[in-house]
Amino acid sequence: MNVETMWLVTILGAPLAAALLLPLLRGRGARQAGWIAGLTAALSLIATFALLPALRRGDVPALSFEWIPAAHIRLSLHLDWLTFPFLVTEAAVTLVAIIYTWGYHRPDERTPIFYALLMLFAVGMSGTTLADDTFLFYIFWELMLVASCALIAVWGEGERRGAVALKYFIFTHMGSLMVLVGLMVLYDATGGDSFSALQAGVTLAPGLATTVIAFFIIGFCVKMAIFPLHLWLPDAHAVAPMPVTIMLAAAMLSMGTYGVLRFPLSIFSPAQMAPFAVPMMVAGIVSELYGALMALAEQDVKRIIAYSSVSQMGYILFGLGTLTYDGITGATLHVIYHAIVKALLFMCVGLVIRATGRRRIAELGGLGSAMPLVALCTAAGALAIAGTPPFCIFTSEWMIFSGGFHTAHIGLSVLTLFGSLLTVAYALWFVGRIFFGARPEGLTVDRLPWAMVAPMVLLAALALIGGLFPAPVFDWVAHELPLILGGAW
Amino acid sequence: MTGDVWVMLPLACLAGGAFAVYLMARLLTARNDLLALFTALIFGTALAAMVPLFALTGKETGFFPKTRFLLPAWGHFGEGGAFLRADPGALVVAGVALGLGLLVTLYSGRYLALDHRYETYYPLLLLLVTGLVGMVLAADLFNLYMFCELMSVAAYVLVAFRRRTAMAIEAGFKYLVMGSVGTVIILLGISFVYREMGTLALPPLSSPPMGGMGVPGPWIRAGVACFLVGLGIKSAVVPLHTWLPDAHGRAPSSISAMLSGIIVQSAFYALLKVSLGLGFPARDLGTLLIVLSLLNMTLGNGMALVQTYTKRLLAYSTIAQMGYIMLSIGVGLRYDLPGAIQAGFFLLLAHAVMKGLAFLCKGVCHFYCDATRIADLRGTALRMPLVAVAFSLALAGLAGVPPLAGFTAKWFILMGALRSRDGLGYVGLAILLLNSLLALGYYLPLIGTLFTPPSSPPMGGKEGGKKGRESPTEGERGGRIRVSPWMAAPIVALGALVLAIGLYPGPWLDWTADAGVYLLTVNASR
Repeated sequence: MNVETMWLVTILGAPLAAALLLPLLRGRGARQAGWIAGLTAALSLIATFALLPALRRGDVPALSFEWIPAAHIRLSLHLDWLTFPFLVTEAAVTLVAIIYTWGYHRPDERTPIFYALLMLFAVGMSGTTLADDTFLFYIFWELMLVASCALIAVWGEGERRGAVALKYFIFTHMGSLMVLVGLMVLYDATGGDSFSALQAGVTLAPGLATTVIAFFIIGFCVKMAIFPLHLWLPDAHAVAPMPVTIMLAAAMLSMGTYGVLRFPLSIFSPAQMAPFAVPMMVAGIVSELYGALMALAEQDVKRIIAYSSVSQMGYILFGLGTLTYDGITGATLHVIYHAIVKALLFMCVGLVIRATGRRRIAELGGLGSAMPLVALCTAAGALAIAGTPPFCIFTSEWMIFSGGFHTAHIGLSVLTLFGSLLTVAYALWFVGRIFFGARPEGLTVDRLPWAMVAPMVLLAALALIGGLFPAPVFDWVAHELPLILGGAW
Repeated sequence: MTGDVWVMLPLACLAGGAFAVYLMARLLTARNDLLALFTALIFGTALAAMVPLFALTGKETGFFPKTRFLLPAWGHFGEGGAFLRADPGALVVAGVALGLGLLVTLYSGRYLALDHRYETYYPLLLLLVTGLVGMVLAADLFNLYMFCELMSVAAYVLVAFRRRTAMAIEAGFKYLVMGSVGTVIILLGISFVYREMGTLALPPLSSPPMGGMGVPGPWIRAGVACFLVGLGIKSAVVPLHTWLPDAHGRAPSSISAMLSGIIVQSAFYALLKVSLGLGFPARDLGTLLIVLSLLNMTLGNGMALVQTYTKRLLAYSTIAQMGYIMLSIGVGLRYDLPGAIQAGFFLLLAHAVMKGLAFLCKGVCHFYCDATRIADLRGTALRMPLVAVAFSLALAGLAGVPPLAGFTAKWFILMGALRSRDGLGYVGLAILLLNSLLALGYYLPLIGTLFTPPSSPPMGGKEGGKKGRESPTEGERGGRIRVSPWMAAPIVALGALVLAIGLYPGPWLDWTADAGVYLLTVNASR
């Protein structure tokens, strides 16, 4: 067991150990639980970055055990360049979400379990990216669903939380089952179970290959909340407690992108993928326009940002659908930047709700003078999501559009630009309605805990820095392409 | 009477034990805990007596043109006839039954305080398992019939055991009527078979049927049809399932655990053994099972969605899970895939553990909180966190949530269906997937109910009445109930097994591997 393996185990092991041990604290350690969760999340992030030099050297930190010999299933984890951007996103979002929770969550008897489930959710996500075999991948894939669903069902806001959690579970489980079928066909075709074996030699009958790709893409699109498979998202995001919403929107949605990159795109040849290019691009555009329009029409501040996720995932799917270097790079960059900005916007919304106790946008207004820092950060977030130049999303949208214009479908690419226009509209309208204009009667503003404000400021700064200096992140992402493309494109 | 005495030993333990327990209860003491301990000891002994049998039964090592099995038999008579014969599938079923019986007995050590008639309960439980083990081990039709009757009669009485309620009597009576119809049809089938063959011996599957006399004649075919119907009633094959929700829903929870967990499945194994043994082609049997399994899954899950009583819900879930088992074994038989049959037996094992756990947890809620409706389960997490967690594990496992036992079983079943490379197999796969989605619709709300505070409004159904010992002054912490270790220990053991089977399925898969190969030797021998 060398140092790299140790770090690899730490990424998963630290949150897993915390998740298993935190419930033992019972009611006594409500305060400590937050610190422990924060420390483990930080450890997980540090471990991820500690493996960066190894990746740069060309190593692939990996770990593999015999698990179910009868079925040739191994328990194996690995970290490669395709995993890395997603893993960093997930670990970083978990860390800020937990810091935000320190301020958001009022400690009570069940607090340790709340943190334990958050850690389990994080384990599910990082395990999904780290898993190197299909069986393990699916276990982690469902773990993230189970943990987040439990969080929504128990700690959600409002009377409907049980129903919303049920809808969320059944809807996304449907997608998971489609993914499961795809995974099993691949597993059956190779007789082995590791991804490298899959990449090396899957030969499926043409019809079967098309079916499998379709299953994968539809299944992962449920997780990405692409229209019309998005129905679970607005409810789940609106009802979930704020830290869970942040993790759902900023990290979990991107797991769908990871899935598309890892399975259909990495395993099948460009010729096999080609028939799916236009459907993916069209679905992306529809989702983008639909999400933006719904964000304009929505009244609940949390749901506005939730619909904005549907819209932004549309960009990502469009980028993947271009099947070009620029488009796929842009989509992966967009995952990272969208995570920063979406976490930022949800934190801002959370702070507004916390300070005023109101959620309907019609009842808000004129808060700019009362909470200038939040207003500034929200404005930054809104500008960023609209793709305004110095902020980070500009870079990734540029790449996605550029990918679109490299394809033969210029018309579709022009349509995506309209999506951007609508994004500007809802983003600015959102900021304007909340922070400018006259303040409604009886709107009071409470003090905000530092633990909720600090991560917001940090993310706003990151959104700006990411846009000004895109080179390092770009560098991580650029490495993944050879893995997917394998020189074939 | 010659042969391997090991085959007979577990049966002798159980049958002798039943009398011993009854005598002990009558003559010495009628204390529940002592009787439970003694009965558990008998189950333990029988299980220990089976261990050498596991080693004796299995693939013969060496170089043979086709796979051969060592099948220890006891009580030889005539040409190839025997009284009992162990085969890999039967051993899986019998092993599961003894293990589950042991845990259920321990559980009853406290649970039965609700019913009091200890001196009849424990002997009946032992006779139930005696009948079961005898039925799956029986090597000729007469013994099979006798043991099947023994099991059934014990089951009728145990279903109606809570005789102070009219519903239990009704359920027991319904079960008795339908079960007897089944037995009579089996008897008719036996007479048909005897008319043509002149013997009741059921040769091992690996040897040609009827001493290689060729194609079975019309009487044997009619006999097989009778067995399919008769044993189909006992294994709740839709549309012959109507007794099951009543019987499993109204028996004491400990008995429901046995009935749902293993009794139904053992009758199904007998069905497989008899129909294959009498020369019913494996391919046709497989097709039949696949088609019937689709009905079982869909009807079971559909009906479970609308239940208001927890145990009826679990009973319908058993029908659905029987469908999964039938599908997997059917796919294996039709397409000659030992892996799929193995997956079916793996699910049989996993289901016994999960459904047993679910019923036992439900029993604890009934015991302490008088909960019978689903809505009555609200607040379980606050009062009995251990039970709520174990119950959730069982339900999530049944729903096929990874990494629990049910998921691993489902993975291998899907893999089998996928390997069929055929339209019917793919239809089965699609319907299984749709059903596992449908099933979430009742498993998840049930889990949700466990974790809902009792104060929140019920999700429909009658309010009040059943609240029992719950009072509003009881705070969230004050209402915590200490679960008796008699009940907690089996629940913890089964909960750990749900996790262990799911996370580390290797040894369990190995255990069920031979069953698949053995059932398919029938193809090689004809």
